[in-house]
Amino acid sequence: MTLGPLLFGAPLALIGLIALPIIWFVLRATPPRPKDAELPSLRLLDGIEPKEETPDKTPWWLLLLRLTAAALAILGLSLPLYAPGAQSGTDASGPVLIVIDDGWTSAERWSEIRSAALTALDGEDRDTPAHILLTAPRNLNVDPSEPFARSDFDARIRSLEPQAWRIDRDEALNRLNASGLQPARILYVTDGLDPETATLFTRALAVKAPLSIYAAPPRGPVAITALQASADGVAVTVRRADDREPSGHFVSALTLDGSALATSEAIFAANEKETVATFSLPPAALSRIARFQVTGSASPGTVWLWDSAERSRRIGLVSGDSTAQPLLSDMHYIRRALEPFASISEGNLITLIADNPDAIILTDIGQIDPSVRDAVTEWVEDGGALIRFAGPRMASAGDTLVPAPLRRASRSIGGALTWETPQTLGGFPETSPFAGLSPPEDIRVRQQVLARPSAELARRTWARLADGSPLVTADQRGQGTLILFHVTAGPDWSDLPYSGLFVDMLRRSIAAGKGEAVADAEGLYTPLLTLNGRGQLEPASAGATPLRASDFGVTEPSEIHPPGLYQGPSGTRALNTAVDDRPVLTEDWPASATLLGEAQAQSLRLAGPLLAIAGLILVVDLLIALAIAGQFNRRRQSIAAAAMVTITSYAMLQTPAAEAQSFRFDPPGGNTEQEVLPKDVDAALNMRLAYIETGDASTDRRTREGLNGVTLTLFRRTSVEPAEPHAVNAETDALDVYPILFLSLPDTPQRLSETAIARLNAYMRGGGTLFIDTRAGGTIGQSGFDGLSDILPGLDTPQLQPTPKDHVLSKSFYLLSSFPGRYSARPLWIEATSSTNRSERRGDGVSRLLVTDADYVSAWAIDDRGRALYSVDGGDEQREMALRFGVNLIMYVLTGNYKEDQVHIPALLERLGEEGGVGDFERDSDPRSLDALPPTGLPEIDQ
Amino acid sequence: MTTLATLRAEAELLARQLPDLSLQAEAADLVHPGAAGRKRAGSGEQFWQYRHYAQTDAADRIDWRRSARSDDYFVRETELETARTLLFWADPNAGFDWRGDEDRPSKMERAHVLMLALGILSSKNGERIGVLNGPRPAALGKTAPNRLAEDLFESRSDSLNPPKSTALAIVASDYYDPIPDWRARLAPLAAKCRHGVLLCVSDPIEHAFPYSGRTKFSRPGSVTERLFGRAEQVREDYLARLEAQRAELSALAIQMGWALVTHRTDEDALRGAATLLQALEQFGGKA
Repeated sequence: MTLGPLLFGAPLALIGLIALPIIWFVLRATPPRPKDAELPSLRLLDGIEPKEETPDKTPWWLLLLRLTAAALAILGLSLPLYAPGAQSGTDASGPVLIVIDDGWTSAERWSEIRSAALTALDGEDRDTPAHILLTAPRNLNVDPSEPFARSDFDARIRSLEPQAWRIDRDEALNRLNASGLQPARILYVTDGLDPETATLFTRALAVKAPLSIYAAPPRGPVAITALQASADGVAVTVRRADDREPSGHFVSALTLDGSALATSEAIFAANEKETVATFSLPPAALSRIARFQVTGSASPGTVWLWDSAERSRRIGLVSGDSTAQPLLSDMHYIRRALEPFASISEGNLITLIADNPDAIILTDIGQIDPSVRDAVTEWVEDGGALIRFAGPRMASAGDTLVPAPLRRASRSIGGALTWETPQTLGGFPETSPFAGLSPPEDIRVRQQVLARPSAELARRTWARLADGSPLVTADQRGQGTLILFHVTAGPDWSDLPYSGLFVDMLRRSIAAGKGEAVADAEGLYTPLLTLNGRGQLEPASAGATPLRASDFGVTEPSEIHPPGLYQGPSGTRALNTAVDDRPVLTEDWPASATLLGEAQAQSLRLAGPLLAIAGLILVVDLLIALAIAGQFNRRRQSIAAAAMVTITSYAMLQTPAAEAQSFRFDPPGGNTEQEVLPKDVDAALNMRLAYIETGDASTDRRTREGLNGVTLTLFRRTSVEPAEPHAVNAETDALDVYPILFLSLPDTPQRLSETAIARLNAYMRGGGTLFIDTRAGGTIGQSGFDGLSDILPGLDTPQLQPTPKDHVLSKSFYLLSSFPGRYSARPLWIEATSSTNRSERRGDGVSRLLVTDADYVSAWAIDDRGRALYSVDGGDEQREMALRFGVNLIMYVLTGNYKEDQVHIPALLERLGEEGGVGDFERDSDPRSLDALPPTGLPEIDQ
Repeated sequence: MTTLATLRAEAELLARQLPDLSLQAEAADLVHPGAAGRKRAGSGEQFWQYRHYAQTDAADRIDWRRSARSDDYFVRETELETARTLLFWADPNAGFDWRGDEDRPSKMERAHVLMLALGILSSKNGERIGVLNGPRPAALGKTAPNRLAEDLFESRSDSLNPPKSTALAIVASDYYDPIPDWRARLAPLAAKCRHGVLLCVSDPIEHAFPYSGRTKFSRPGSVTERLFGRAEQVREDYLARLEAQRAELSALAIQMGWALVTHRTDEDALRGAATLLQALEQFGGKA
């Protein structure tokens, strides 16, 4: 049934609309559900009659809502279809044929084409079969005689994808004729291009049955049809079919992995079908470009694959000399100049000519062998570029393959016996390909070969010296070019090969030649990546077959040779979709055909949305009804309560964990849940203290506890946040990753092995600090260092001295007057600074070795809960001082003599002055005031 | 839902916070609460005194051990002991076991807690406690609170039959049935028990009547349903009725010589228990 542009799939369902008034009446008569309330004291109300029992009616808006839902549901069930272009009033005549252009030209508007094809059966009988004819040739194409039921047809059309090659309407027509199908109606969904075949094709279709045509020609640029690479850029030709409006598009240059290197604008003026987008890119970037693509277009035609053959020039090199010094060889300079842009092959002239490169470069070959001269001449006349460099040999004997006749001697400028000075470059004539390059000032040409003056010489000159003598000459020979550099390719005669100008000149010279890249006519290229119908690169499909090298440029892309990149013996070659394609709009459709407009070819199935809206309205109605019946309040409360409980319990769960964490000393890296790293990696990642295992378990434990104490103190008080201390084995573990190593000796120490001593020596030489604590300070009548040399034989001990009062250890963090450990007033021996001269001081003046017997680790030691473990001579105050010394020590080790810097002296002096009442100088933090201070009061200042 | 354990725990908590019931010396002396000695001879377990044999005494009452130490005959007398009995009853009606809000206890639960707290207190002072018309008779001793709790929890007896001997009755309900009905139900009990307490527990919703709009009321435990198109219109009537009901109930209590204790479930349970205790002590003073 049809109602204007609306079709109804199940029109009988519309009878249900009659029921709407009844629904309205019933809904109106039914009051909303009352609220339920329990009340034990209800008996009190016995005998009370309500004064005014107004019947509560359903509100009118709710009524309207429900009626709308019912009406929408009924409409939805009638399967309406908005299809303005549908064939109305058909009399179920017979099968419908849908012809679809699924070539690459359709890709851009494929979704429209597909939805247009989907409308084909609208308004037809349920049982009308559909036949599909696709015009892009394929091996296994849809048989036009195969009928599709409605549902199968939908699925089939939805699964169609455009192909990456050209359509062939003649072939499709043949297939249709061969199938013998007699359609009752034909819908042709076309790309609207190529009028030559389209006109014939549509006429043939129109003869068979009534024809409607929906044409969806690409709106924007149709294709990149050509690419012109020049010495310093690429020009991409973009064509379009619809030339009525001016339009601007962007072309991107992409690498193989799809990142855009450059974007250029392609602007079509009105009535212009072709435009060129140019890319000026540095050569190194050019060499990375793999494809060009019109931005925002999803068609294989708007992708131009740039293969390695196109991308780089092929150069042949023939050298006259072979030197043992490669850096002085001429070839070296040419090779380095050209390698990024060209594929270079070497060999003799015969094989090179057979390869037919773009250019052949000869360095200092005086006379080309007469046997090959003819071949070379022929090659040049065919379009090759022969680039020659002069040299001693050419100066002595030349041949005819030069642009201008040469004198039989080279000219030496600026030698010992000449008056002249070496010449600079003069400039490039306007007609020269080098025009626009700017010669650097500092190039000097010391020697050159000279051309005989002639009337032609000026025209043939591409570059001149400052005195006007030609540096580069060139001449046309047939279609090719002869180019002569009047200097050597090496630095013997000039500075030119040193400069970047040399690179540009060489590249522009090479561009003069245009060798055809048909190196290996027999080579097979297998498909590597192919373009799909959406213009995306994907791995080659199984159906793609290899292509011979000679076939490139001749083969049209097809199913067996899809467009894409082909891998072969000399790199990759590209088969592009739209080479030299000239899209033309078809205007001339058969007069009998119905042309469908944009809107007519689209249809909208309304059943789904209508039913969805009806369902939505019913849900809203349910919510409203619940709200009216007061069901919401209680529910909301319970939801809120549940949420509250969840949040609270979560918080309860979180809180103890958080608190536990705040009590635990948990420095970074100490987390055991983390991935267990190798010890040295772990130590390198996090700064930490370390101690050398002595083998005595109780001493080692004490040392570890002591280092824990210092670590915790540092963690709490300073910005140094060491990780957990490590125990290291001096013989095996990596030592260099620790800034300081503690060695506290047990009561009966064991002698360290030679390996350990050697490694400790290396550690100290490498900038590490070894802290030795004999822990013997409390022993009566004994020097604390007895037997130290027995334990550490061969330790590379520098000269030691008791720590001076003003040593940086006393002020690196805290200001300390003494360094008490567990035992007070014990000496701390430190590397003597006075004896070593300053140049020997290493590691910013940090002492390599500190030796003491004050048993610091015991004073520092804490247990797991942070409580001090061992008694200390001076009680808690001395323990605090010991900890402060620990902080100072680590600061000293980490920062060196930084605190000896002048910056802190005002503050230090001020505090010293306050304590000792020494000076009443101004409290001025300005360092300039230091100048006024007597130099004697200043500690040593490191420069 | 309150379990037996929570009921007991709450009641214990309350009982602990309340002052000791029988330490009210004068009252205790007068009304004989508990198995306290009456400081005179009578039937009891504790020894009270020896007295000289009188002609009226039966020969087997002579305490021969004492008499053998002298020439006179002596009779051993024990101290008079009486134990009062507290009987509790809670309305098993479904309307009484109802709460207006999930966060509040039901009226019955609150009544149970209050009565059990009083029971525990009394039991500590040696009084018999039990459930009126309960499965077990009133009992003394340490297990009595347990038994009371269990019986309160399980007993769903609707009848208010008077006990065999006199007792102090505590009758908890919401008293929403017409007062004449209650008068008829309570009359036999009041005849037997001179003293008692009417514990009227109500839910705050029953005082607020926060309804409006089209509302269908139902009464828990009955199929009665009433539909009011606009509930807010009957609110004034309802509140007036409620007030009148309370006044009548109060009059009934005075008439019976009993006390009326009202309590709302949103009030503090301790406050209710204290009021109840006060009412009981008042009886002690009066009697």
